[in-house]
Amino acid sequence: MSMLRSLLILIPACLALATVARAEGAKQVIVYEGIVTEVAAPAEASKDLWVTMKDLTRATRFVLKPQGMCKDKLCFPIPKARKSEFVARRGKTQWFNLSEFARLVRQPIAFDQNHSVWYFGARQDQQSGYIETLEAPDFKLPDLNGKLHSLSDFRGKKVLLVTWASW
Amino acid sequence: MPGWQALYSELKGKNFEIISVAQDTGGAKDAGPWIKKAPLDYTVLIDDQHLVTKIFNMVNVPTAVWIDEKGRIVRPNEVAYVDNRYKALHGIDAAPYLDAIRDWVANGERSAFVLSEQELKARLSPATNDRALADAEFGLAQYLYAKGHGQDAIPHFKEAQRLSPDNWNYKRQAWALSDAERDYGTNFGKEVQKLNGKPYYEPRKLPEVKKKD
Repeated sequence: MSMLRSLLILIPACLALATVARAEGAKQVIVYEGIVTEVAAPAEASKDLWVTMKDLTRATRFVLKPQGMCKDKLCFPIPKARKSEFVARRGKTQWFNLSEFARLVRQPIAFDQNHSVWYFGARQDQQSGYIETLEAPDFKLPDLNGKLHSLSDFRGKKVLLVTWASW
Repeated sequence: MPGWQALYSELKGKNFEIISVAQDTGGAKDAGPWIKKAPLDYTVLIDDQHLVTKIFNMVNVPTAVWIDEKGRIVRPNEVAYVDNRYKALHGIDAAPYLDAIRDWVANGERSAFVLSEQELKARLSPATNDRALADAEFGLAQYLYAKGHGQDAIPHFKEAQRLSPDNWNYKRQAWALSDAERDYGTNFGKEVQKLNGKPYYEPRKLPEVKKKD
């Protein structure tokens, strides 16, 4: 009986310890445009994905500038009135809410809790734009020998693009 | 594949290329044996992320797109059988499609099979929000599978299938990586039966070719 009692006391104690340990060194994985990056997780639990500004750029190549969240010539303004929903300071570190940004740019996210993986789909600006221009979206894929070929390598010829599968 | 090779041998001198892309999560391991079966001299690529399925908003194999010399789509997604091996199952005769390709290669934009801009825009539909999320769930499932977490991938494959219910690629690929009966409670044969006479492929819309007098 006393053993059971001590076990019952021990279990929550272990759980509490585990929670703290997890918060200290927790990692989360971001897959963004096919690039896999392991980033630090904030100490506070959140349904959203918060990342440090440094990790944000490592994972997505986006940089926060006065005019918005930018990558090359592409910039998405962050609504001024809602800035606190996107940016938060904890001590010396500035964190960014990548989930909120995804909602802003209409980008779907799939999340796996067991492995802390956040998989980002295509932003709205990356989807279906070809329907306006009718220009076939480009891609680059390997042949069986690993040599890469792009659809655009075939410009100047008629191309029958056809899919198949082994399954 | 021998069928496409025959067509390619016939037309390759006429500024025409075939790019055949395997939609296989297993990559070269799964697609390779099929490619090695016979010598092929058209371009065969391996797409272990199902990228072409995603960016062209496809739901099936074999699906083809015709792309002209300027890189413009002139016929969008449609079923593209090169022979009648599975005709008993889907009822689609390959011959009219191969003749359509020959006509396009010979006549270019004057071909009756090249669609007008208006018709193209009517046939091309943007990905719905559900499809875009399905693509992300499928991508996450493939990531977990590749990392050796096959069991944890299953709920995400299922979510992709739920969000994009007409997408046979997302069903059949997931089933092929698993014991479909055990993990998904179904299999390809059962799902085809559920169609209950509805076509597996969206029917082809080839124009009738007028016979010359």
